[in-house]
Parts: sequence; C-alpha cells; structure tokens
Amino acid sequence: MLKPGDPAPPFDLPCAFDGKLSHLSLDGIRSEMVVLFFYPRDFSFICPTEVVGFHKAQPAFKTEHTSIVGVSADDAESHRRWAVELGGVSYPLLADAGGRLARAYGVFDDKEQVAMRATFVLDRARTVAYCVASPINVGRSVSETLRIVRAIRTGRLCPADWEPGAEFGPADHKF
Amino acid sequence: MASFKPEEKRRAFERLGSVREIVFGIQDGVLTTAGVLAGLSGALSGRSQVILAALASTAAGALSMGAGAYLGTRAETQVMRNELERVRRESERQPYIVQEELLAALGKEGLSREAGYRVVKLLSHAPDALFSTAEQKLYGLSGSTLGNPALDGLLMGAAFLAGALAPLLPFVLIASVRYGLIAGIAMTAIVLFAVGYVFEGVLAGERSPTAAGLRFLAIALGAAAIGYLVGLLISPIGAASAG
Repeated sequence: MLKPGDPAPPFDLPCAFDGKLSHLSLDGIRSEMVVLFFYPRDFSFICPTEVVGFHKAQPAFKTEHTSIVGVSADDAESHRRWAVELGGVSYPLLADAGGRLARAYGVFDDKEQVAMRATFVLDRARTVAYCVASPINVGRSVSETLRIVRAIRTGRLCPADWEPGAEFGPADHKF
Repeated sequence: MASFKPEEKRRAFERLGSVREIVFGIQDGVLTTAGVLAGLSGALSGRSQVILAALASTAAGALSMGAGAYLGTRAETQVMRNELERVRRESERQPYIVQEELLAALGKEGLSREAGYRVVKLLSHAPDALFSTAEQKLYGLSGSTLGNPALDGLLMGAAFLAGALAPLLPFVLIASVRYGLIAGIAMTAIVLFAVGYVFEGVLAGERSPTAAGLRFLAIALGAAAIGYLVGLLISPIGAASAG
C-alpha cells in the first residue's frame, strides 16, 4: 500500500457519472485535493453506506476544493446502474477492470479479486497526503476523511482530533 | 385444474424424514429377533422358553430403540435449535454480513450480482424472511428440518416391533422348532428384501427396485454373518476362560 509522500499513480479509466458513461483521468481533475476511495464491489451491502455517505458529504468536500472519486473493479455500466439503484451519486465511479489501479495503489485483494476498502487523500501535487485501509466488513468514516482533508488544507500542525476552529500546534514545530 | 398445496407437500417431506427410523427399526428388529431365535433354539430345550425369551428380547429391544431414538433426536434438536438461535442473534447484530454471504450464495446458484442484490434487499425488508432464507442457503438449517423426538421414538419402537414379528410369527405358528426357525429366517430375508425394495428402490426412484432390495438384503445379512463369524472366532477364548 502506498504511504504519505508517495506520488499518486495516474489513471485514465472509464467511469459512470451523472447517469452517463464517460472517462476520467487524474490529470483531468482540477480540484485542489482528491479523495480517491476504493471499495470492493457494486451491489453489496456495506459499500452503499460509504458511497451514499460520500455522496451526502460531497458539498462539504466541494467547499474544501476537494473532488471525490470512487473506484472498484466493476465495469462502468455496473457503476451506472448501481448509482441509479442508490438514488444517484454526485461524483464519478471509476471502472478499474482487473484491478490494475488498485494494484498500483497496493490495495488489491488477490484472494477475493476485489479492491480493499482503502482511502487516499491526494494533495495539489498529486502525492499521497493521507491513506487508510479498513477491514473488508467494516465501513470507513466519511466524516473522518472530511476532517483529515480540512486539517491537511490548513497546512498547520494539527493535534489529535483536531476540528476546524480548534487551536493548532506551535508553528515552529514540525512534529 | 391441478392445484399446488405447499402445506401438504411440506408434511409429505416431513414424513419422508422418518424413513431413517422406520428402516433402521425394522432391520434391527428383524435381525436381532432372528439371531435370538437361532441362538436360543440351540441352547434351550423347550420351544415355549425360546418364544418367551424372544418376546422379552423384542420388548426390551423395542423400548430401548424407541427410547434411544427419542433421546437422540431430542439432543440433536436442542443442539440444532441452540445453534440456529446463536446464528440468528449474530445475524441481527451484523445483518450486512448475512446479506453479503447470502448474495454470494445466490451468485453461486446462478443469479447475477445485481439480481441477487435486489432479492436480498427485498428479503431484508422482513428480517425473519432474510434470516430463515440465510439459514437454509448458508447453513442448510431450517426450523422444519428439526426432528420430532416423540414421533421418532414411537416410529423406531414400532418399526422394531414390526420387524421382530417377521421371524417370530412363523416360529410361534409352526410347532416344529426346526421348521419354525427355517420359516423365520426365510421371513427375515423376505422382509429385509422388501424393505430395500420399497424404501431404497421404489420410494428412492431407483431404476431397479429388485437390485435395491437384494443390495439391502446382502448388506444386512452380511453384517449379521460377520457378527456370527466373530462370535465363532472368540468362542474358544470364552470356553478357555470358563474352563
């Protein structure tokens, strides 16, 4: 699995977005930061809580100049139908057929042939600023991802459980 | 117009679940009683003594087998019920785990992931339907497959009694011990063949019920013959220790 500071592997993959099939590349994303989250499968019972959770929080991420991209090994048409099933998803779902992108990020489960439940926050230079992986049967926290994005965007030293409005660490401290 | 009556079908399947007790009971009743008659005919001088001993053995056998079936089924039912409740409690705590496993099971049975997802999602609107489906699909368990201890015990005891009558009746009705025994053993073979013919042949849908009957007869008599041979082998040891 990649770690903070590693350059984010680029991608140019089919995707489903806004009810249509399309293509999306990392280079084509203009936002300051990117939340790239991998999930195992469309049409499952844990993943929708995350996909819907990111959908609901999308305006808050947009305020932070952050794009959200979901990725699984399903094809783009499956993504499109699943997004319809979920009542619409306000960000692109990438079709990572064969799991090449998940492998590039080090989060492909070879045994199950699906992506692990992993989240990467990419900064302006498209390097990994934050990453986390959850067990396959435990959904991740969307609010924690948003908190991390907000903390990173401050460029300051943020203590544990830092929330917007709380004090920063000393400006002359690196750690 | 043909009518489909699931309740009748279900009861028919439940009755078929008793085949094990019936076959086991008859086979054991037939062979045990035939063995008792053959053994005591040589050891006891009076025909009435043999009959009385065989009747006592039959009564004890029927009661023992009935009680054994009752206790065995009761223990099995309690263990299974406990396991079903444990699985259900787990499912209620983490329904999504059950949903995912059920989805995978439906996929293995040929449903597309999308179709399976819709089925499981619909089932999830009624947790009882979701859990009972999961119990059947994932664990092969269901409330209706749990046995009935009293029924199993009664059937086993009654089947043992019915089986015991096959060698016993000719022995009682024919005055000669020798001919009574021959007729009893012949009846034993006929009943064993008939059990195989009916249960393993006709009811099981086997192409040749006769072959099924002969196979059942061969296995049952083969087991008895091996038991007899073992007795012959160890009898010198018994004689030596008695001497």
